[in-house]
Amino acid sequence: MAQNKFMLVIFFRAIIIFVTLIVIMRLMGKRQIGEMQPFEFIITLLIAELACVPMTDVSIPLIYGIVSVFAVFILHQALTLLEQSCTLFRRIVDGKPSVVINKCGVDVKELKKNNMDVSDLIESLRSTGNFSLDSVHYAIYESNGKLSVLKSENSTTSEQMPILIVSCGRVQKNNLKLLDVGNDFITDLMKTNGIARLKDIQILTLDGGGNVYLQVKGQNYKTFKITLPNGVSW
Amino acid sequence: MVKSIISIIVVSALIFLGATVENIYLKNSFDDLIIMVDEISDKLENQTAVEDDVLSMQKLWIDKKQKLHVFIPHTEIKEIDLWISECVTYTKYKKYEDALAKCEVVKELCEQIPKTFSVKLQNLF
Repeated sequence: MAQNKFMLVIFFRAIIIFVTLIVIMRLMGKRQIGEMQPFEFIITLLIAELACVPMTDVSIPLIYGIVSVFAVFILHQALTLLEQSCTLFRRIVDGKPSVVINKCGVDVKELKKNNMDVSDLIESLRSTGNFSLDSVHYAIYESNGKLSVLKSENSTTSEQMPILIVSCGRVQKNNLKLLDVGNDFITDLMKTNGIARLKDIQILTLDGGGNVYLQVKGQNYKTFKITLPNGVSW
Repeated sequence: MVKSIISIIVVSALIFLGATVENIYLKNSFDDLIIMVDEISDKLENQTAVEDDVLSMQKLWIDKKQKLHVFIPHTEIKEIDLWISECVTYTKYKKYEDALAKCEVVKELCEQIPKTFSVKLQNLF
């Protein structure tokens, strides 16, 4: 019988916390549920944790959970107000958008600033439906972590998927195996394009149709077509 | 913007009001109990205390703890419950020294619990 009562206590506590959270989330607006700024993401994580502990642990007064959630709500409102009135504050708290692809190609420095590499960028591009680096005119990582893309006007949709061969001077050996060729392939490519050292290649991608995207350190990217060894496909 | 400012002010005011009520209520509740514990301690020292004296302290505590459950962790309340119960039994069997020791613990807890929840640096970290 005592166990039944205990379960009822948890049940009612869950209802109270749930109603409180619904009210708070509604007051915070739709952005809290959709695209989140860093501090909003933290707040969402905090609220979940703060609500769960007193909900399940009956030795903690429920008021602790409610007060904590309200405290987080005040913080959220105050931060939102400060962000709206002070650009510098917004930049400090949320960061600023990063242009990672421009007319010259991929901005590797900007990627590194955001603790990302070329493969992360290619992955993000794929999620926006862009499989080739040259099909994008501009790519911007917004402060909420989403990638915004401006497609290149003269981009043609290729049926082949480009694969990253060299990233910041490092050969992606697993990807190279797909080509069924050795390092000689890259050496030949370097000779043809007048590249002295492998580490000068920032990005080299190749698709099944032989389309190459090459970006050398300090230079604009270029694209060209090569003939692939027989039987290569992916 | 106005809505945000109003909500900050209203929620902050509610929390501060709640904290003030909580502070006053905790202080008054534990002060009442401390007065009673002191009276019983005197009787226990003089070995004139009877079971009913401690039972009246227990009754007072039971009345107070109903509302205290809202403000303080239930484990702290349970601790006082146990010490008072032991005090009742020791008094019943006229073990005054042991009962006095239990009373001292109850008094200490009544003094310490409100301090634990006061806004002080050591409590914040």
